Amino acid sequence: MSAEVALEVKGLHTTLFLREGRVDVVRDVSFQLNDGETLALVGESGCGKTLTALSVIRLLPDPPARITAGSVVIDGNDITGAPESTMRSLRGDTVSMVFQEPLTSLDPVFTIGDQIEEAITAHRKVNRREAREMAVEILKEVQIPSPRQRLDDYPHQMSGGMRQRVMIAMALVLDPKVLIADEPTTALDVTIQAQILELIRAEQERRQLAVLLITHNLAVVSQVADRVAVMYAGEIVEEASASEIFANPRHPYTQGLLSSIPSAAGDSKHLYTIPGRVPDPRVLPPACLFAPRCPYVISRCWHEHPGLEASNGHLLRCWNPQPFIALKAVEPEVDLSVATSE
Amino acid sequence: MASYLARRTGYMVLILAISSVVIFYALRSAPGGPSGGGVLSPLSSQEIRQAYEKRLGLDQPIYTQYFIYLGHIATGDLGTSLVNGTPITELLQTHARNSLILGLTALLVSYLIAIPLGVLAAVKRNTWVDQLAMGGAILGMGIPNFWLALILVYFFSLRLGLLPSAGCCDPPQLIMPALVLAAEGTAVTMRMTRSSMLEHLRDDFVRALRAKGLPEWQVIIRHVLRNALIPVISLTGLRLGWLVGYALIVETIFRWPGVGYLLVDSIIRRDYPVAQFFSLLLILFVLLANWFADIAYGLANPRIRVA
Amino acid sequence: MADLTVLDEKAQWEAKVERLWTTRPSRWRDAWYELSRNKLAVTGSLIVVFFTLVAIVGPALAPYDYAKQVLSDVLLPPLSNGHLLGTDELGRDLLSRLLLGIRISMAVGLGTTAIALSVGTVAGMLAGYYRGWVDRIINGFVELVWGFPLILIAVLLIGAIGPGLTGVVIAVGFVNWAGFARIVRGEVFALREKEFVAAARALGKGDLEIMARHLLPNVVGSALVMGSYYMAIAIIAEAGLSFIGMGAQPPLPSLGQMISQGSGYMLLNHWLSTIPGFVIVLLVLGLNVLGDGLRDVLDPRLKGVS
Repeated sequence: MSAEVALEVKGLHTTLFLREGRVDVVRDVSFQLNDGETLALVGESGCGKTLTALSVIRLLPDPPARITAGSVVIDGNDITGAPESTMRSLRGDTVSMVFQEPLTSLDPVFTIGDQIEEAITAHRKVNRREAREMAVEILKEVQIPSPRQRLDDYPHQMSGGMRQRVMIAMALVLDPKVLIADEPTTALDVTIQAQILELIRAEQERRQLAVLLITHNLAVVSQVADRVAVMYAGEIVEEASASEIFANPRHPYTQGLLSSIPSAAGDSKHLYTIPGRVPDPRVLPPACLFAPRCPYVISRCWHEHPGLEASNGHLLRCWNPQPFIALKAVEPEVDLSVATSE
Repeated sequence: MASYLARRTGYMVLILAISSVVIFYALRSAPGGPSGGGVLSPLSSQEIRQAYEKRLGLDQPIYTQYFIYLGHIATGDLGTSLVNGTPITELLQTHARNSLILGLTALLVSYLIAIPLGVLAAVKRNTWVDQLAMGGAILGMGIPNFWLALILVYFFSLRLGLLPSAGCCDPPQLIMPALVLAAEGTAVTMRMTRSSMLEHLRDDFVRALRAKGLPEWQVIIRHVLRNALIPVISLTGLRLGWLVGYALIVETIFRWPGVGYLLVDSIIRRDYPVAQFFSLLLILFVLLANWFADIAYGLANPRIRVA
Repeated sequence: MADLTVLDEKAQWEAKVERLWTTRPSRWRDAWYELSRNKLAVTGSLIVVFFTLVAIVGPALAPYDYAKQVLSDVLLPPLSNGHLLGTDELGRDLLSRLLLGIRISMAVGLGTTAIALSVGTVAGMLAGYYRGWVDRIINGFVELVWGFPLILIAVLLIGAIGPGLTGVVIAVGFVNWAGFARIVRGEVFALREKEFVAAARALGKGDLEIMARHLLPNVVGSALVMGSYYMAIAIIAEAGLSFIGMGAQPPLPSLGQMISQGSGYMLLNHWLSTIPGFVIVLLVLGLNVLGDGLRDVLDPRLKGVS
């Protein structure tokens, strides 16, 4: 079965126009997402993964953020430069989004019933009763107990997990092609996280959904993703199937991320942390953006920007890839002495 | 909720009781009196004054007068004006009605201007629309209402002859007092609406609503405005109180026969029964206004309603 | 493994980042910079400083005695011979009266606000710090006063003690302290939970020292912002009460009372009312604009309070 392309992003550039000047926060990002597939966009906070998602659905905070280049095709519609009215008719219908914090993402002064119904009536010509029935059905589907009574609840009357189920219900009620989930489990308890991920996976199988999952959490990725794109400082640095990424990570940054998961490091006492911090977007390193933090840096990394090269479906942006050996944590004593001598 | 209401009501009764004592004492211990130029001619003789005070019971100690007054109130006798003998019940009917007409018109005008402009300024932030509206608002807060009244009278009555400068109660006579009374609160409400809108426009749920594909006006009016109005509603209680205060000045300037005009006049003339009744009435009104604003706030805000 | 040039490159880049980070101005320099960039704040403070100077030295520079009546020179228009702003119905020089009127308005505004600010800050601080019954009593008073219209209280009070500036000052101070107390109480409530208060207490510092040294500096910003709004309110209230004859008494000029006196001569010489009116508008505008500017710089949370 040949999968249809649900979402295709090519050469996306997103720029913040600040008083101090222009800051490119998403640079030349391209990816493709098929029906029934989950692509995880992974990276530390501030790497541009959320802005990439918001660029796709065209909900960037403008000002200061604006798309400066690139094309986006959703479900066969090229929406590059499409007017807001086109975007509005796609949002919530063809492409939906679930956000990190379900409490603040729901309007506190409306019942959840009102909020689901208005998502329906924004796109479909149905009367209130029909909309209400659809709302009950979808709440039932996301396993909210006694859905009919819950319709009259306000967001603050529900638990965090229930609220996120409501958000997912709202996103799925019109059977979209693409679901963008921005850190959908970060604000939840660990036990609830697994349930929500399971729900997303179940819905994806039932509906042949294309899911763009945005997360900083590799444990989440390992549970649900088919493919993984690792972002660093606004660029995709590595992209491959999830199994490939976990078994054979090639970019030093991906290797660093994997080494900082307790299970991957195998030594829970000394967890690896990537030295240094995410670069300040106002003074990016001159060539490879990861060079200042990279254990395998060579001179070329400071002079020539690496391109994203493909080999066997594995995309990599690195001049000096090394085989993966779990990176070892630096001994704290050593770390301290380095810090004080500086 | 019930215990809250009971507490609130008890508090109101307490304040009214304290205020009645304070007002009663303050009025009667003030220099001058109805016999000293307020009601009687300043030239009337000592005997006439004493006879007058005795007839009204003003020669008795103040606390005795207070309890006699309470007794009268309890039997439904509000007394009569010392100045012209009009029963207070009659004054209450005409003046309270006039004040309500003026106050409600002013409130309506003020919200009809303030809320749409506040929303517009927030949505079009940092454009000329915003700057014009906010410039107008800060000017509106700076112009004392009595001076605004004077300027309006100068142009529309004296220069252009379009509107009557004072009096009651035709619609043309209502225009200027209502505008003046509305002015200050309009500016404050507009600023409040704008800043509250801006605050809620930044809320996460706005992005989530847009992600559902709602039309922008629905996001702004149905959701953001609905949230933004919550503090504006609780400001309404305060605004009703301020309105009472400003009404004293505005009614006096335009000689609009409302409660405020009557109160200022009766205090100056030492018309005790009128002054004490109407000042208590206004205090009661202010307390009720704050009380209603609290209830409305609770109704508008489901987080409070259920908690 | 890394060769020399790589370390070199790295050092260069790190130095560049370091420079960018260290050029960030300090918090107070930051505030000052913001303040001087904020057009509102600059305009507002220029106006306020100007009126303060006028209030201090103006009456001394007045060309005439404010109460001297020259019945041959009544109701002269502005720019008349020897009278820059003309004269009133009793032949008194308007400029001289205006200068004294500004002093009275400023004095009433500043005086009442200083009283209200100190009383309100102390009360709010005590209520927020000690909570419990202290808070219940203080907050009871605050809630009582807060909902009440200033003008109504002033009219009642002045009805009792007789017209004059004393009544105005007492009434305005009596009502406005509650505004400060509310804000300060709320802030202290939140601040008290912060680590630095716990740290100060752990060091054995007394309540008084904690309040004065640690809490006060944190609430001063909002108190100042409120202060400029409340000074504007006080000046308008004084003018309004003087206008209906309950404030400053003749021959003492106050801006409101000058407007009131001139109102009888609108057709003959409207400048008698319009000039003092413009002065009040400008003064109040300056204070409100200064308040807005200070608020933007010092305390963005206060937005929309007044």
